[in-house]
Amino acid sequence: MGVEGIRIGVHICRGNWSKQEDVLLSGDYARLLPALKPMRISQFVLEYATPRAGDIEVVGRALSNRELGLGVVNPRTDEVEPVEFIIAKAEKALEFYRPEQLFLNTDCGFGCFAGRSVNVEEVAFRKLGAIVAAARILRRRHG
Amino acid sequence: MTNEHETFLTTQVGSWPRSKLMLKTLRGYQKGAISRREFNTVAEEEIRRTVALQEEAGLDILVDGEHRRESFYAFITDKVAGTQLMSLAEMLDFVEDKAEFEEMLRTMDMPASAVKNPTCTGKLTRREPLALDDYHFLRSLTRKPVKITLPGPYLLTRSMWVGALTRKAYRNHQKMADDIVRILRDELIDLRDAGCDFVQFDEPVLTEVVMSEECDRRTFM
Repeated sequence: MGVEGIRIGVHICRGNWSKQEDVLLSGDYARLLPALKPMRISQFVLEYATPRAGDIEVVGRALSNRELGLGVVNPRTDEVEPVEFIIAKAEKALEFYRPEQLFLNTDCGFGCFAGRSVNVEEVAFRKLGAIVAAARILRRRHG
Repeated sequence: MTNEHETFLTTQVGSWPRSKLMLKTLRGYQKGAISRREFNTVAEEEIRRTVALQEEAGLDILVDGEHRRESFYAFITDKVAGTQLMSLAEMLDFVEDKAEFEEMLRTMDMPASAVKNPTCTGKLTRREPLALDDYHFLRSLTRKPVKITLPGPYLLTRSMWVGALTRKAYRNHQKMADDIVRILRDELIDLRDAGCDFVQFDEPVLTEVVMSEECDRRTFM
């Protein structure tokens, strides 16, 4: 039985314990869909900044009756994603979602394990700034 | 609350890099060398800074950065009776194939010292709320909507079960999972009733079950 009256999200990623991308998992969400579809929740919060997460179409076709928390920056890298990269990810997702269904977020946390933060505060802060800058442009373009 | 006409709302998934002071204080608290009050004083200062940074960046929905947490799931040993925070080194004593487990950690680039497990060792009940206090503190720092993160039921069921220790309390995974779901549901309802906007359950282990080559193999989660 679901719980009403609060936005419930489920976050899924492919691991966030190492800065070596090749030790983390790979694969799109297709094989998870049978588990995800019946969930009585409002939002899926999913990795999409990394190519290891596959194409947005897989989730867009099957789960667009819910909100999507679209992962647009990789928390483990030192380079901040260009605003244009984030906008392109979101505009691709707009093929399946309305602007009010689409949330923009990081792919995962910056320090899931206390003793093993995957980034430093200065970079994390700038990555948040890039997400906000992209959202402002997206709102101007798409309302 | 967020407005349903708002578009492209921005947020982050939950945790923020820990400062050296936060990490040192957490370790001291876990060893019993630092009081809960001192621990909270340090954590609250870190959370204030994290919230201020998110406000400065212009995020729409704020999180507290999980500064109090050992990890996004192991922290429940602070809150739930019938659990024990164990280092992987301690867990090794109860794993059937030690060499394989150590090899797995090496290939995953996960040093045993960096991760602790919330092992189930008895009947699971909420000793105190998992995140309700975190919510109230975060709520006091900002007028923006906030998000609280909790570990999901699959992740907890997979990580908390260490057969040699858990079988004393539960016959199988399903029996333990019934109590985990009850605890998470009660927490969700408490958070809702307190006015929390958004709760996110973290289920990274779902990908492991379907994407790793050996889905029965236990990893560190």
